[in-house]
Amino acid sequence: MSRQALEAASLIPDQMAAAADAEAADTALAASGDASAFERLYRTHVARVHSLVRRMLDADEADDLTQDVFVRAWQKLSTFRGESAFGTWLHRLAVNVVLARRKTLGVERGRYRTDEAALDGVSGRRETPEMSVDFEEALSRLPDGARQVFVLHDVAGYRHEEIARMLGVVPGTSKSQLHHARMALRRYLDR
Amino acid sequence: MNDQWTDRLSEYLDGELAAGERTALEAHLTTCAACRATLDELRKVVARAKALEDRPPSTELWSGIHARLTPGRRPGVSRDATSRRVSFSVPQLLAASIALILLSGSGVWLALQPRSPVRDGPVVVTPAVWTGRTDAAISELQDVLSRSESRLDTATVRVVRENLAVIDRAIAEARNALAADPGNAYLNLHLANTMRRKLELLRRVNAIAAAQS
Repeated sequence: MSRQALEAASLIPDQMAAAADAEAADTALAASGDASAFERLYRTHVARVHSLVRRMLDADEADDLTQDVFVRAWQKLSTFRGESAFGTWLHRLAVNVVLARRKTLGVERGRYRTDEAALDGVSGRRETPEMSVDFEEALSRLPDGARQVFVLHDVAGYRHEEIARMLGVVPGTSKSQLHHARMALRRYLDR
Repeated sequence: MNDQWTDRLSEYLDGELAAGERTALEAHLTTCAACRATLDELRKVVARAKALEDRPPSTELWSGIHARLTPGRRPGVSRDATSRRVSFSVPQLLAASIALILLSGSGVWLALQPRSPVRDGPVVVTPAVWTGRTDAAISELQDVLSRSESRLDTATVRVVRENLAVIDRAIAEARNALAADPGNAYLNLHLANTMRRKLELLRRVNAIAAAQS
């Protein structure tokens, strides 16, 4: 067996299952108070949590709120039942922390600017290496309501019914906000 | 350009229209170039969203988190502040493994002594949730090792086998103890730790074997 094949055999087939097993063990250890195990969980999930927070709020809030999410996760580990993956549980907790933060900031729920002028000034580029960065910038300029729904639905993969419960709106509002967000970002694609 | 169907295109894209509306919209799309173009752009927006990559924070956040986790304890030094790239020889790795195994054996002995749980309140993640998958992962790693151990010298293979045997005994003892006391939080955590160490040892030895090729 070649080295490459050997490495593939030793890593790829087992990697996902082993990572899940190691994570389950680390979750159990963290629940018992093992901060080192919790740090491993943090290293695994910090990029996803930080990106979620950055996209749903402002970039300058992301660091503080990411820390809040992990501290909250540590405090709430005793409620984690292992019925879903730790990452799924953590992501939902992060959404809740973000939404609570929005309330304390007094962000008006569901605000949407129908003129889509919020995206004016985003320097769009088509099919370039910077495309993703520009898309993130365009996303950050969406009105709050449309931005929350777009991130939760199209980026994070939640269903409208779940989003409606999280935001305290009806599913129809979630669908409408999503469409407005997509239409606004479509304008960016046209540039 | 907008018409009565423009605001329904996202629902169509997401498969959320009722059958009748879907059929009507598809009929409309055959005649409306503007809606077809908009639909295509909406598809691109959705694809772009799904392709977004998560990026870690540009600053180190763990030390601040750690300080808030354990306010009554002196915060540990951040791993990043002290991390160095180090390499180990095979004997060093095996010595480390043996040390881990001794710790595991001590853990079993301690676990068998009467004691209260390590922490008040229920420990909610039990091995039943994950031991099946871990057993499968260990089995696959052992299969890989059995195929690749010819790349290791005889003495190394012997030491690896001895270490694995000791870990297996520790796991078996933990399982037996758990069978008698399923609710023992310490035993649950000890079993989780021991199985994780076996996974780490197998991965490490497989990596060493791969490096020999």
